[in-house]
Amino acid sequence: MTLVIIRTAIIYVTLLIIMRLMGKRQIGEMQPFELVITLLIAELACIPMADASIPLLYGIISVVTIYVLHEIVTLLDLKVKPLKSLISGKPSLVVNKNGIDDYQLKKNNLDVSDLIESLRAAGYFSLDSIDYALYESNGKFSALPKENYEDTQTSLPLVIIDNGKYDRKNLQIAGMGSEFFDELLKKQGVKKVKKVLVLTADGQGKIYLQVKGEKYRTLQTEYPGGKTW
Amino acid sequence: MVKSLTAIGIATALLLGLALFEWFYVAGQFEDFGEEVQSLYDKTENGTANADDARAVQTSWEQKKSRLHVWIPHNDVNKLDDYMAEAVRLIGEKEYPLALAKLEILLHLSECIPGTYRPEVENIF
Repeated sequence: MTLVIIRTAIIYVTLLIIMRLMGKRQIGEMQPFELVITLLIAELACIPMADASIPLLYGIISVVTIYVLHEIVTLLDLKVKPLKSLISGKPSLVVNKNGIDDYQLKKNNLDVSDLIESLRAAGYFSLDSIDYALYESNGKFSALPKENYEDTQTSLPLVIIDNGKYDRKNLQIAGMGSEFFDELLKKQGVKKVKKVLVLTADGQGKIYLQVKGEKYRTLQTEYPGGKTW
Repeated sequence: MVKSLTAIGIATALLLGLALFEWFYVAGQFEDFGEEVQSLYDKTENGTANADDARAVQTSWEQKKSRLHVWIPHNDVNKLDDYMAEAVRLIGEKEYPLALAKLEILLHLSECIPGTYRPEVENIF
């Protein structure tokens, strides 16, 4: 039984550390230590229930151990401020007034397309329609929109360049080749596509461009042959 | 806060209490069983053991077993059960050398099994 308690505690702490290291992508609406409980309880209860060679007491002891650990971690999370960020993590500001913070995205194992997906789920289709966006410590996404942000969302923006690479599928949907955007980048003083963190283009000719390590810029252009979508 | 601390305290006390009880109880049960098997072993070695002696040890084991099932994996209990049954049959048939081999295994297991539940590094990992 002492073994069961020690082994349960080791697995609990290991899972908690791993969940924290995995970043916000793996969490989704739960604090890391709550997710660990969810993962463990079901298994701990099931194994002695299904395997008749293991005493039922082993399952009960493991679950009670998890309960004690959870109560201790919850107390530390609530009462000891420095430990709160260690246990639950901190919110990550992934979009600020300069645009996307690539470092914060990478730190949380996310990329630009994950961010754009979260934005769309939150009702913001254009990257320039928000001032700030952050991933909370429980993995939830929050954004502060700009004033009259609805006016900026005139048509669906397509991601043309994502982290230095053209999205061929979106280029096809837009009905354009990469040459047009190469030319546009040249005009903006961007020598290599690799340096672009993100470039989106909407159906009305609005371009959102952010070069790695620089502030974002928006520009209005006309597509070849007056294309719109 | 008070409720949480009380709950943590009670649950921890319960866990530690059970762990200590298991530790001493399992060790005690196997110590008793080991002594019984040792005395049967000595009799078998002298050629004086009979089926009744063996059955008496088996009955005592059966009683212990019903309580040990709560504390240790049933596979360990079954293993002892098998060797005990074989030893009883061999002693009944006066096959003493073969019975001694089975009793030796029983002695070894009754010494080893409690050790596998101690909080030692090799048991934890």
